[in-house]
Amino acid sequence: MVGFSSFDRKRFIIIVLFAILTMVSLFMGALEGVTPQALFRGDEVAISVFTHSRIPRTLAIIFSAAGLSVAGLMMQAISRNKFMSPTTSGTIDAAALGLLLSFLFFSQQSGIVQTAFAFTFALIATILFTSIINRLKMREVVYIPLLGMMYGGMISALTTALAFRFEVMQMMNVFNLGSFARLGNFTMVYIVLIPLILAVLFSTKFSIIGLGEDFAKNLGLHYNRVVFLGLVMIALIGAATFVAVGPLPFVGLIIPNMATSFYGDNLKKSMVELMLFGSVFVLICDIISRLILFPFEMNVSLTISIAGGIIFMIYLIRGLQGGSNKQKAGV
Amino acid sequence: MIEIKNISQSYSRRGRKKTLKNINFVVPEKAITAMVGANGAGKSTLLGVMANIVPAQAGEVLLAGEDITKIKPSDVAKKIAFLRQTQQLSVKITINDLVEYGRFPHCGGRLQEIDKQKVEEALGYMNLLDLRDCYLNELSGGQRQRAFIAMVLAQDTPYIFLDEPLNNLDIKYSVEMMKTIRMMVDELGKTVIVVLHDINFAAAYANYVVAMKDGEIVQEGKQEEIISKGVLDTVFDHDFNIVRHDGRSVCLYFDYKL
Repeated sequence: MVGFSSFDRKRFIIIVLFAILTMVSLFMGALEGVTPQALFRGDEVAISVFTHSRIPRTLAIIFSAAGLSVAGLMMQAISRNKFMSPTTSGTIDAAALGLLLSFLFFSQQSGIVQTAFAFTFALIATILFTSIINRLKMREVVYIPLLGMMYGGMISALTTALAFRFEVMQMMNVFNLGSFARLGNFTMVYIVLIPLILAVLFSTKFSIIGLGEDFAKNLGLHYNRVVFLGLVMIALIGAATFVAVGPLPFVGLIIPNMATSFYGDNLKKSMVELMLFGSVFVLICDIISRLILFPFEMNVSLTISIAGGIIFMIYLIRGLQGGSNKQKAGV
Repeated sequence: MIEIKNISQSYSRRGRKKTLKNINFVVPEKAITAMVGANGAGKSTLLGVMANIVPAQAGEVLLAGEDITKIKPSDVAKKIAFLRQTQQLSVKITINDLVEYGRFPHCGGRLQEIDKQKVEEALGYMNLLDLRDCYLNELSGGQRQRAFIAMVLAQDTPYIFLDEPLNNLDIKYSVEMMKTIRMMVDELGKTVIVVLHDINFAAAYANYVVAMKDGEIVQEGKQEEIISKGVLDTVFDHDFNIVRHDGRSVCLYFDYKL
């Protein structure tokens, strides 16, 4: 075949979209005059706004979106369940608990301590949940994320009770809203780079894990080690993004589903596309929430929830129809 | 050579309900060995233990004289390929991707010339070259099963263990699959163990038969010795009628009285 195969075309589209949206995100904002020309002219105000506000914000969007997409994919591969994500396994709720405890223990501290706390709790909660569902031997795909949400709800209730008892509810409410305008802990989002690189390096191993334990062991993979690495990466991504920008609902759930239905489950070919796909989704949501009340901005969580919720419903309905068709066909 | 020594296994915690009881067995080389027995006889568990997928609770499996649990997993994977009945279907990967995974124990995911060559060979052998870019979920049951067998061939192991490969296959594809397994032994010199439910497939294609019941090997031996009324009646708790047709044994196990 000459020219583009359909896979190359899909890849090309996502790269172009990503580039355009990154540019829009960088040069859009309340302050006019931050334009490429101004930067070339050496306009000091423009350069200062660009480097201190626009670049960090856009990077935070890209890293957190790519990170959560990868975390969701890992979760889905490990549990072999397309409805799993860091939000349906208690990971994010435990990160919130860890963050609160770090406040209660040492009120003022660096982002790295907060992230360490959030990470530890997220990791413990995720490992606990995966070992519980492994023991259950209940493989009904819809029940497990439901169970995960109940589990997350319990952790979150504990967090709320603690916050209430120590009178820090207001602070908790701020943390529970995802936003790219919260400057304080932005740098923490760069931690996500580590798991992103690992995800690319070990992409074949994670693909094989997604085909099942027996399958992976047959190919001589250290199944438990790879799963553990995956869980550590999920917890790290969940904790770092939570501390930096707060929860971004649905990203870890719908992006892996959409990206793999376009680019396939062979992650060696589709890992980078997955990250770009997630970034494109969140960049669009962010641009919308900045435009809707211009020059003010709406909380990005809201836009993501609305867009993500609709996409998720479409998937759920199509998935359920597809599932029943398959059963009828006796597959 | 693969030797199984005193393997015992149980699922309940205190080990009272045993799924495997003190099994000893030497795998016949370069032949098809069929494992038969009723549901829950322990066939699949034994196969899993032999491939080091399930750790043995007591006893040992020796691969060329060495305890299999002490060998590096990737080295075991170069000797034994293990395939469970048709797996996960919601994963969107192409036949080519799947067959390339078969090379994982050899190259760790970075395919060299030799790996690509083995992939081509395996695809060619299973007549899948035209379908290589199709996704697994778009295939028919028979094609999908062939893709998994191609992966096992690309893994290039002397031993191949297949757990119920005929599940979900219709008669035509089942026969095709057994013929392929026969070819793997006759042409490629593989040693195959296959768990079968239909005793007649064992009678028609296997060289050796291992008959299991309640976690024990009741009898093992050449196909002609095992496919007999005496053995099968005990193994399956059923009244068999064995007839000869064209010099072959055929088991009739239907209870029909009009």
